[in-house]
Amino acid sequence: MMRWLGLAALVAVALLSAVVLGPAHVALGDLTSSEIVRSLRVPRALLALLVGGSLGVAGASLQALVRNPLADPFLLGLSGGAGLGAVLAIALHVAGPWALPLAAFAGALGAMALVYRLGLVGGAQLDPRVLLLAGVAVGAFSGAITTAIVSLAEAADLRNAFLWLWGGLSGASWDTVLVMAVYIPLPLIVLYAEARPLDLLALGEEPATHLGADVEPLKRRVYVAASMLTAAAVAVSGVIGFVGLIVPHITRLVWGHRHRALFPAAFFGGGALLLFADTAARVTVAPRELPVGIVTALVGVPLFAVLLRRWGAGGGGGRG
Amino acid sequence: MTGAAPLLSVQRVTYRYPGAPGDALHDVSLEARAGEFHAVLGPNGSGKTTLVRVALGLLAPGTGTAELAGRAAAVWSRRDLARVVGVVAQREDNLFPQQVRETVLLGRYPHLSFWGAERAADRAAVTRALERCDAVALADRWIWTLSGGEYQRVRLARALAQEPSLLVLDEPTASLDVRHEMEMFELVRTLVDRHGLAVVMITHHVNLAARFADRVLLLADGRTAAQGAPGAVLSRETVERVFAWPVAIAPFDGRPQMIPLRQPKEST
Amino acid sequence: MRRLLVASLLAIGCRPAADRPATPPVAHRIVSLAPSSTELLFALGAGDQVVGRTTWCRYPPAALLVADVGDGLNPNIEAIAARRPDLVVLYRSQLNETAATQLARLGIPAVTLAQDRLEDIAHAARELGRLTGRAGAGDSIGAAMEALLKTPAPAPIRRVAFVVWDNPPMVIGGGSYLDQLATLAGGTNIFHDLGAASATVSIETIVARNPDVILVLSDDAALPGYSTRREWRAIRAVRERRFIMLPADLFGRPSPSAPAAVAALRRALELDARR
Repeated sequence: MMRWLGLAALVAVALLSAVVLGPAHVALGDLTSSEIVRSLRVPRALLALLVGGSLGVAGASLQALVRNPLADPFLLGLSGGAGLGAVLAIALHVAGPWALPLAAFAGALGAMALVYRLGLVGGAQLDPRVLLLAGVAVGAFSGAITTAIVSLAEAADLRNAFLWLWGGLSGASWDTVLVMAVYIPLPLIVLYAEARPLDLLALGEEPATHLGADVEPLKRRVYVAASMLTAAAVAVSGVIGFVGLIVPHITRLVWGHRHRALFPAAFFGGGALLLFADTAARVTVAPRELPVGIVTALVGVPLFAVLLRRWGAGGGGGRG
Repeated sequence: MTGAAPLLSVQRVTYRYPGAPGDALHDVSLEARAGEFHAVLGPNGSGKTTLVRVALGLLAPGTGTAELAGRAAAVWSRRDLARVVGVVAQREDNLFPQQVRETVLLGRYPHLSFWGAERAADRAAVTRALERCDAVALADRWIWTLSGGEYQRVRLARALAQEPSLLVLDEPTASLDVRHEMEMFELVRTLVDRHGLAVVMITHHVNLAARFADRVLLLADGRTAAQGAPGAVLSRETVERVFAWPVAIAPFDGRPQMIPLRQPKEST
Repeated sequence: MRRLLVASLLAIGCRPAADRPATPPVAHRIVSLAPSSTELLFALGAGDQVVGRTTWCRYPPAALLVADVGDGLNPNIEAIAARRPDLVVLYRSQLNETAATQLARLGIPAVTLAQDRLEDIAHAARELGRLTGRAGAGDSIGAAMEALLKTPAPAPIRRVAFVVWDNPPMVIGGGSYLDQLATLAGGTNIFHDLGAASATVSIETIVARNPDVILVLSDDAALPGYSTRREWRAIRAVRERRFIMLPADLFGRPSPSAPAAVAALRRALELDARR
């Protein structure tokens, strides 16, 4: 119980600091009336929570699916696909404020479908090793095409597209928050429903089958739901690394491996991490802003190292 | 007990893996009822694991039928089947650092409602399973601290937590020392005698199978070399033919025991 | 024979880096590897002496008739050599360090010019004037640039922000040529305190600093895409649709047309002030 209260407090502090702190000085008394706070900081904080949470849960579920603790939501080629989609949208001068996110989303889904299809090649049935290799291949391939387009292109706009891809929450608005809030519950519910079967999958596919899990539908659902979450995160905020990789590990150190507890913990843990990282990105070199992906690495990795040492001294880990 | 319907019934099945030159199983049958201990023996590659996969509905036989508790194996949903059949596969690759009680609790999955939490009845079932496997003392240990024999008992406890009527064990004593091997076979025998389970065990240990099992199925090249009571199946001619090695058969405790003979190489 | 081969290889390999081929007294076959130097060469009246340009060199229109040799950063040495130049004008950048060495190995003289700010144009004009035998024109352009720089900046009439990208928001800082133009035209770049030529900032910083008008490099009159986005409308200038479009030909690079650019910007700022 204490753990959950601690997490709730952490999220509250993270949200509060994201709203109170910023490169522009807003007096505490003016917080509720300030335009900056209402139109910029609050939606940005909420978006950080939703995106960080999505990445945390996607990471936890993909690590369980591919049975690899180094899996990151972007390992499966989604970032490459999103980048290619975004660059194509700019190159083809597609108009509209939602053009870039929608194109990135479509690109990510395209990559997901391609990796999925490759994962079935030769009757592989979404074998984790095949998925990982296919993901790396698709990511590299789309990255190469993207780089080729950008280097051959005229407009400086296209080179700036790479900046977008590095990740950032500057596109946050009440509109984006609404879209995310409406979109992510479904994949989250699907993943939560598969939480117990994922516990079984950790024993191996065959033992899981014998214990009553329907392994093929399980893998499909987890793969699609996790990819949908990641695609949405990339569409609204570019590629923010490390959150999906590290947050599941940190939460496992505290909550253990049972996914019924791990998923909610990873959601709020990921949200809190991204909130802190984004606040730091906005404040530390003000008036300039750091790309948030750099901050998540700088914050997340030492945090993980500290927890790892404490856990290593106490409980230890391993396989049976 | 023998009048009851068989829990596992494989009738004249044939199976060939896609792209394989020959049948992995050819015209093999096996029936297991409650209170019976069946051992499946045979050299490597003789089709033992394939037989179990077909019996459990994981593979569809080319010809023949496979039924579990009176229904076709293919018709069972995984979850429903897990309430009837507990399987301890040859290997498992557990990624979790877990405590014993937690890992045994995973066996309750087929009994849990979709959204519901584990209830007192589930925890009681876990304790019972641990008791039956003489593993209660291990309950709070972390699984990576367990010895091979202890871990096997825990895996068996997990299968028992499913409260199955049929247990299928694939080489449960591989790489265990003699004490743990004997303990495992005694445990299985007790489960059959005292708790009325049906057990089908694949094992390399011909002698222990002969002493503990009620019936033996000896496979060779996917075909039934012999099937029946251990005394009938394990004759010198049959064993030598199947395992391609000279043996002597000596009785012990009323059961045939196989003693491999030395075959000195001819000096050239 | 072998000793001769080894000796010549040693001789070639040991050529000191400082031993660059000397520039000709008057260059007649110039490959220009930066849009601003191409524009300068034509402004000097030396357009006929230019035999190669980069793909991005589009101004003046006459430049389009010159052969395209590819990129200016990390240039294609073979394509350049194919033009048989007697001088190559390089843009000063880390990425072009090796290019200068490679050209030297082929015996092609190269000159590296910084082309980032107004003072650079003055220097480049004089240098290129001398190299093309048009020293008079070079000195006159140089003098014009220096005069522009020496002009006391007028009292600022508008606070401006140059926004070059929206996601992440990128603005022009004090290190940029555009910042110099703004100051000369009577505009205060609200991000002048940022030393770099460009930087990423938060939207809320733009809101807090509250520019009167937003300057955009664009050839058409359409408002930038982000002007309809909710989060950008927190900026007063965006809400009030106060944008000034700066045509690329005049504002896109440091150019001898700087005086005309300053005048055009001043007019636009005055127009906005009156709205």
